[in-house]
Amino acid sequence: MRAKIILAMLLFVSGLSVYAQVLDSTMVVELEDVTVTGFSFKTASKHNSALSIDVIEKEFLKEHFRGNLMQTLEHAPGVRSMDIGSGFSKPMIRGMGFNRVSVTENGIKQEGQQWGGDHGLEIDAFNIERVIIRKGPSSLLYGSDAMGGVIEISQTPPPYKNQIFGDLTLMCKSVNEYMGGSINLGIKKDAWYSKLRYSEQHFGDYRIPTDTIVYLTQRIPINNRRLKNTAGLERNVNIYTEYREGRYYSNYAISNAYQKVGFFPGAHGIPDISRVQNDGNNHNIELPYSNVNHFKLTSRQQYTWDELVGSWDVGYQNNHREEWSLFHTHYGTQSPPENNPNKELEFNLNTFSSSMKLRTIKFSSWEYRGGWDVQYQQNRIDGYSFLLPTYNRFTTGLFSFINKRLSNHLLLSGGLRYDYGYIDITEYKDSYLKEYLQTSGYENDMIEEYEWRSYAVKRNFGDFSGSLGIVWSFKDMHLLKTNIGHSFRLPGANELAANGVHHGTFRHEHGNPALNSERGWQLDASYEYDHKNIRISVNPFVNWFSNYIYLKPSGEWSVLPHAGQIYSYTEHKAFFAGTELSFGVDLFLGLDYSFVGEYVYTYNLDERTPLSFSPPASMRNTLKWKNNQRQLYVELHGIAPQKRVSKNEDPTKGVNIINLGGNITLPIGKSMTYIGLSLQNLLNTKYYNHLSFYRKIEIPEPGRNFQLLIKIPFKSKL
Amino acid sequence: MKTNIKLSAICIFAIFYLFVTSCSNEDEGDTVKPAINLIEPGDGNILKIGSDIHFEMELSDDRMLKSYKVNIHSNFDGHTHSRSVEQTIDFYFNKSWDVSGKNISIHHHEIFIPENATPGNYHMMVYCTDIAGNESYVARNVVLSHEGEEYDH
Repeated sequence: MRAKIILAMLLFVSGLSVYAQVLDSTMVVELEDVTVTGFSFKTASKHNSALSIDVIEKEFLKEHFRGNLMQTLEHAPGVRSMDIGSGFSKPMIRGMGFNRVSVTENGIKQEGQQWGGDHGLEIDAFNIERVIIRKGPSSLLYGSDAMGGVIEISQTPPPYKNQIFGDLTLMCKSVNEYMGGSINLGIKKDAWYSKLRYSEQHFGDYRIPTDTIVYLTQRIPINNRRLKNTAGLERNVNIYTEYREGRYYSNYAISNAYQKVGFFPGAHGIPDISRVQNDGNNHNIELPYSNVNHFKLTSRQQYTWDELVGSWDVGYQNNHREEWSLFHTHYGTQSPPENNPNKELEFNLNTFSSSMKLRTIKFSSWEYRGGWDVQYQQNRIDGYSFLLPTYNRFTTGLFSFINKRLSNHLLLSGGLRYDYGYIDITEYKDSYLKEYLQTSGYENDMIEEYEWRSYAVKRNFGDFSGSLGIVWSFKDMHLLKTNIGHSFRLPGANELAANGVHHGTFRHEHGNPALNSERGWQLDASYEYDHKNIRISVNPFVNWFSNYIYLKPSGEWSVLPHAGQIYSYTEHKAFFAGTELSFGVDLFLGLDYSFVGEYVYTYNLDERTPLSFSPPASMRNTLKWKNNQRQLYVELHGIAPQKRVSKNEDPTKGVNIINLGGNITLPIGKSMTYIGLSLQNLLNTKYYNHLSFYRKIEIPEPGRNFQLLIKIPFKSKL
Repeated sequence: MKTNIKLSAICIFAIFYLFVTSCSNEDEGDTVKPAINLIEPGDGNILKIGSDIHFEMELSDDRMLKSYKVNIHSNFDGHTHSRSVEQTIDFYFNKSWDVSGKNISIHHHEIFIPENATPGNYHMMVYCTDIAGNESYVARNVVLSHEGEEYDH
């Protein structure tokens, strides 16, 4: 099957490029007057990095807006969204997710509970203006965790003239009776540029195209085809100010993202039909649910000298996550806590970050960059259950990076970085578990082994990362890059010291305090062609990890209730390879065809099995018609079956989904109002997403969805 | 349109290279889970307190079975159940058995429910692993009662 897909992709691409040649010669005259292009931010970014880069700008974001950043970015090649129900997702780049991908906003790395399968990205999707996706080893510039790539969120430059501006955005979706809105007000006055945004989203239980799901051999009814208790809400505030006076520049951003979302009760615990009965309300959020608040404060100070640009970014983040679930215990002596008896888990993570950078602007052919990053993290826990211990973590890194322009067409870039990390994990002893094991008749040495849910672990890590790459551009239409990088990642607190049953995965996850930092060699290449009416991009890559950290089934039974065998964090050799392929052609009469495909191959060299969460091959074929301010499109999204699974992961069938959409920009009053209507999953096809948190409990993806997006911008001169 | 020909060549090369890498090392590792066919007790069965459980199942795996585990624990409503008045103990059972072979039938009466067990709803979980660490499990809702059915053995 895999071979078939590759063959299909191959035929598609080679077939179409032949077809395009014919069109090319006939279209030259008509297209002559559209070839006015400046050296845009997009082009500049692409030409300045040896890594493969995608720049996502306003138009793309608006066109693919879903109220959720990752579901929007998923339309870019190589990027996948790991979903938790209909509302929350986290990024995956080239088969790497969780702690192997970094998300940064205004220069500061977003910190949350990235490692958890049921945790989304806590960022206001309405507030995104520009995103750069860096694929491949990025730990040189972004530190630990960026080995798979970086999603870099940044601000667009302020308008040139003094003005008051803003927009009102409204969105509705049918699949979960979603209503969302966002209001933005801003002012540009001389050196000052400020923006305030408030967004709110409410949604009900989402619809799935099935009446029953089969979980653990039990048939669970889905009343009215709606997945009970998946309703939620999101409320975000963002304030941003920047000041620019001569050589001095600074910005200040404050944001708060709040999310409350229910979990399908069938996904927590043994399937029990009584818990999935219809409660007659599709908008209530009952137990179990999660409550997440992410507060962030960032600031940049920057000064430009004659030969140097120096900047200093600082940030403070508080990630407060709570999991609420009706008090349950298997330990006879444990009674519900007096305060918040149903609070199962709480993580309160404080992160302080600082990043200093210097860049030379003296030489036209050389560019030196140097930087110093520091981060300090504190995690505190609460709740009647235990998963992750209290810890403090300190990391710091120094890097130096050089871009050398050999000629107008050739750029050489390379750099080196050293990171140091320290982690101090607090021990945790579970007296209820001890008594439980005693009454269950276990031996003393066994009890001693288990009563420590976490040991005191103090570890130091030190690691080099580096990269060397070349960028060759020719006649502004060919861009060829290749890069080799060595990257690393510090093991997370969960990988070092977790010890408990994860309520979502039902696995007894066991950390290993002796783990080394994860290291890998990553080679990638990129070729882009953009000329006249044809755009082509091919981005193959190969990664080899000497010690890829993953949860390995140990074969030993856990004594914890509701757990099967113990899963231990283990280091193994791993291999990744794959490619993204995209192709686009402007046809005639305003028609545009585009193809985006990707394939990732993963392999655990020690176990001789694939790795878990390997993204299945996928391709999107889109035919678009554009005329002035009107646009219509039809998209065929094909997802190949994923049979390459790791142990205890189920294969997922392939599917073809049809999406339709259109948008129009109308002058209403003084404002150019944008109205977008789209229809996802036209045929209401029942399918599974291999990367979804709900996949393992056999919950299909949301059904047919109508979406309406209205965006009313306004501005007034000052 | 020489460039387009070159491009196609590059595409073909890139994909060919992938094709070769993906086909050359076939996955020798075992990712097939063992299968559990739990015959007795069935879902919702009432089990008699003070007697043994008639336990019967078939296990199979494509390579080699390793072990199975039976876990029985209470599924009482944590808020209404009072522990003080009743002179009974919540029944708890957790035991594993090592097995070997590809297809085996299991039938035993080793699980005994003592007289002092608290009647009510319980969960019965049966887990099975193969030698590679592939795991399956089956969950059953069972009821412990003094008026349990007697089985024909």
